Amino acid sequence: MIEIMNLTVVYPDGTKAVDDVSLTIRDGERVALVGANGAGKTSLLLALVGVLPLTSGTVSADGLELSKKTLSDIRRKVGMVFQNPDDQLFMPMIADDVAFGPRNYGLGEEETARRVDGALDMLGISHLKNRSSLKLSGGEKRMAAIATVLTMEPSALLFDEPTAFLDPKARRGLIGVLKKLGQSQVIATHDLTFAEEVCSRTILLKQGRIYADGDPKILFRDEKLMDDCGIEAIM
Amino acid sequence: MANMRSKINEIYALEQLSGGDSAVHRRHPLVKLVSAFVYIVLVVSFGRTEFLRLAPFVFYPVVLMALSETPWRIVLGRMALALPFVIVAGASNIIFDRATAFTIGGIAVSFGTVSFFSILYRTFLCVTAVLLLVAVTPFAQLTDQLRRMHVPDVFVTLFEMIYRYIGVLLDEASTMYTAYMLRSTEHRGLQMAHMGSFVGQLLIRSYDRAERVYAAMKCRGYGGAARRGARRKLQPADYAYLALTCLPFILLRLVDAAAVFERLF
Repeated sequence: MIEIMNLTVVYPDGTKAVDDVSLTIRDGERVALVGANGAGKTSLLLALVGVLPLTSGTVSADGLELSKKTLSDIRRKVGMVFQNPDDQLFMPMIADDVAFGPRNYGLGEEETARRVDGALDMLGISHLKNRSSLKLSGGEKRMAAIATVLTMEPSALLFDEPTAFLDPKARRGLIGVLKKLGQSQVIATHDLTFAEEVCSRTILLKQGRIYADGDPKILFRDEKLMDDCGIEAIM
Repeated sequence: MANMRSKINEIYALEQLSGGDSAVHRRHPLVKLVSAFVYIVLVVSFGRTEFLRLAPFVFYPVVLMALSETPWRIVLGRMALALPFVIVAGASNIIFDRATAFTIGGIAVSFGTVSFFSILYRTFLCVTAVLLLVAVTPFAQLTDQLRRMHVPDVFVTLFEMIYRYIGVLLDEASTMYTAYMLRSTEHRGLQMAHMGSFVGQLLIRSYDRAERVYAAMKCRGYGGAARRGARRKLQPADYAYLALTCLPFILLRLVDAAAVFERLF
């Protein structure tokens, strides 16, 4: 479970990216973060794993509050999948990338190998194990990026624009994978039909604040609400 | 653009081979490192004109390449990158050391020429040994082993970072160059007038990208301090590998095989 209390994130130039957000993500819940560009979706995700410093407020995962001391444990509990998989895949081979997390957490080579094989197998990309990310398609890169996080066996997953760079087939494959994963998921996206299919709850963000919280099937069809947030409603 | 992309692929082509499962790949990284180190020291220890005594040393890369099923084209292709530097360095020997070493069919061969080919050959052997080490040992195991051998952490980390970010830099350069060429009317490559802003932008973009890569690393437990994998025990096969790859060459260094052969027959 992720609990966010009165979270505010202000950038050094004074821009308030996240403004007094309070939110609880229950175990196994899939939540879509929706908002126009600059609404604070990515900033909120980055703050949850301590990449962006919190200006005020608290964040906790499974009862563990985010602080300098707990940063490493929090990042093990909450896995972040970045918007651009190229940012996440930087090792010569996919196997090394997927093993990067477990190795950093000091797991033995045997356990690391078990987790790597398990994650690749679960996502159906075992054949990519000894390939370079430079030669993969967008969909394959996305799956490999998810595998790099799954090997840390987190209890929650954060996705930043997971359908970016994907063709319809890869997008469909991703939907299947996300539905299969048992972890809590927070998915920042502009893709409303994707969010509607995958998530049971949507949080609409506007200028860093929560503007609405509810069922995506209802929210995404509320023309006025969506228009207020600068997003086109599903007709 | 395609050329730059292929350069990125070339950089990581050898490392992709390190995931193989040959008898050489399975050996402990320590014995592979020691074996390569001993081999290089032995090759370098020969005098500049002891060309013939160095000849049998070619068996090391040839046998390793065969056993590890490493494609020779990839190794030689990357080996070729070092050649210009060696040729420039070795050419001075031909110019300055003109004393005759021996004559072939009435043509005098200078010590400088012998020395030049000796440098060329030794570079070939040493660089090939290093390339093969990289081709049969996963990068993470290699750096882990270097740390275990008490190589200063700062050097190993620097090595890891350069290695990771060179791909990032080339990737950004490739994307920018494509965008530039698509809007360039003359299609003659990057013009001098635009060089400053291109390089400046490349630096800023690479820095930005490197920040995102670093954030992704931090999210997976990287804190700047190196974490070691579990210690792997040396197996009898590892000792055998070490003995087979080191002893024959140590023997060849200590004993002049050609002279012994001559004396016997």
